Amino acid sequence: MVGYILAQTTGDVTKAGKAIGLALGVGLGALGAGVGIGNIFGSMIQSVARQPELRGELQGIQWLGFALTEAVVFYGLLGSILAYVLV
Amino acid sequence: MKRALISVTTLALLAPASAFARGEFDPTTEFEQHDWIPIHLGPIDMSITKAVAYLMIASVLTILFGIFFMRSKVARMPGRRETIGELLYDVAQTQIAEQGLPSKAMSRWFPYVASLFLFILIVNLLGFIPLPLTGETWHGVPTWGIYAATSSISVTLALALLTFVFTHVEGVRWNGPVKYFKSWIPEAPKPLLALIVPLEILGQFMRLISLSVRLFANMLAGHILILTFLGLMFILESVVLAVAVVPVGIIFYLFEVIIVVGIQAFIFAALSAIYIGSAIEPEH
Repeated sequence: MVGYILAQTTGDVTKAGKAIGLALGVGLGALGAGVGIGNIFGSMIQSVARQPELRGELQGIQWLGFALTEAVVFYGLLGSILAYVLV
Repeated sequence: MKRALISVTTLALLAPASAFARGEFDPTTEFEQHDWIPIHLGPIDMSITKAVAYLMIASVLTILFGIFFMRSKVARMPGRRETIGELLYDVAQTQIAEQGLPSKAMSRWFPYVASLFLFILIVNLLGFIPLPLTGETWHGVPTWGIYAATSSISVTLALALLTFVFTHVEGVRWNGPVKYFKSWIPEAPKPLLALIVPLEILGQFMRLISLSVRLFANMLAGHILILTFLGLMFILESVVLAVAVVPVGIIFYLFEVIIVVGIQAFIFAALSAIYIGSAIEPEH
C-alpha cells in the first residue's frame, strides 16, 4: 500500500519531509503546552473555589505561569521553522 | 471504516494535481524588512525600515498616552481619563513592580518597569491596527496591513538586552562584584559544583533568549496565524472560503488583541522586575 502511494507521489519528497517535520514540531510542542495550561487553569479554579478571597493575588501568578507555559509552543514553532528554512 | 479511510486517502493522492492548483501566497513576505531610508554608518546599518517606523510611531504614542492619561488633574469626581490612567498605574505598581522589586529599589526601577509595560503594550496593540505602512502600493494607493514591530527579533532582543544589562549592573552596584557573582553559585557538594556553575552561568544567558523569543514568537505566530487563515482563500483560489475563513480570522484577531497583547507586555515587564529584584537581593 505504502509502496503504491509512494509510486504515485510525483512531487518533491524533501518538501514533504520538511512539512511533516514542521507539523510534528509544532504539534508536539502544542501538546505539551496544552497539558500545562490546562493544569494551571485547573489549579486556579480549585484554589479560587477553596479560598475566593485570594483571587486577586493568584491571578498575577496564573497569568505568569500561563505565559511561561505558552512560550513552549513557540520554542517548538521557532525550532521547526528553523529546521524548515535551513535544512 | 479503516478501509474507507485508506481508499479516500488513495483517491485524494490519485487526484490530478491540477485540482489543487495553488495561488501565490506567502505570509512570511509580510515580515521582510526593506530599507526605506538607507542610513549606513560604516558597518552599522541604521536604515529606516518598517519596524523602525512602527517603533517611532509607538514611542510617540506612548509619550502622548502618558501625558494624556497620567498628567490629568486630580478631580474630586474622577473622569474616564483619570480612571484609565489610574488603572494602568495600579497594574504596573501592584501586579508588576511589587511582585519582583524590593521596596528599597522601588523608586529607582518602578519607572523603568512601568514604561516597559506601557511601551510593549502600545507596540503590540499598534501591530493589530491596519496602517498604510506595508510598503506596497495598489494602483498608486498604499495598501493597508498589520505588522507589529515586536514580531522582529532585533526589537525584542534589544529590549531584553536592556533588562539583562540593568540586572547585572544593579546586582554589582548593590552587593559589590564579589558578593554578587558568589550568589550565582548555589550551595551544593563540591564535586557537583563543576557541573552546576556552568549551568547557572548558562541560565543567566538563557534568560536573555527566553525573554526575547517569548515576545517575538508570540507576536509573529499571532500575525502568521491570522494571515494564513485569510490566505487560505488565495492558496485554494476560491472566494467562497471567505465564509469559513474570515470568522476564524476574526476570532484569532480578538484573542490576540484581548488576551495575548496585554499578557505579553505584562510578562515582559514582570519578569524584568523579578530579574532586577533578584539581582538586588540575592537569596544566598
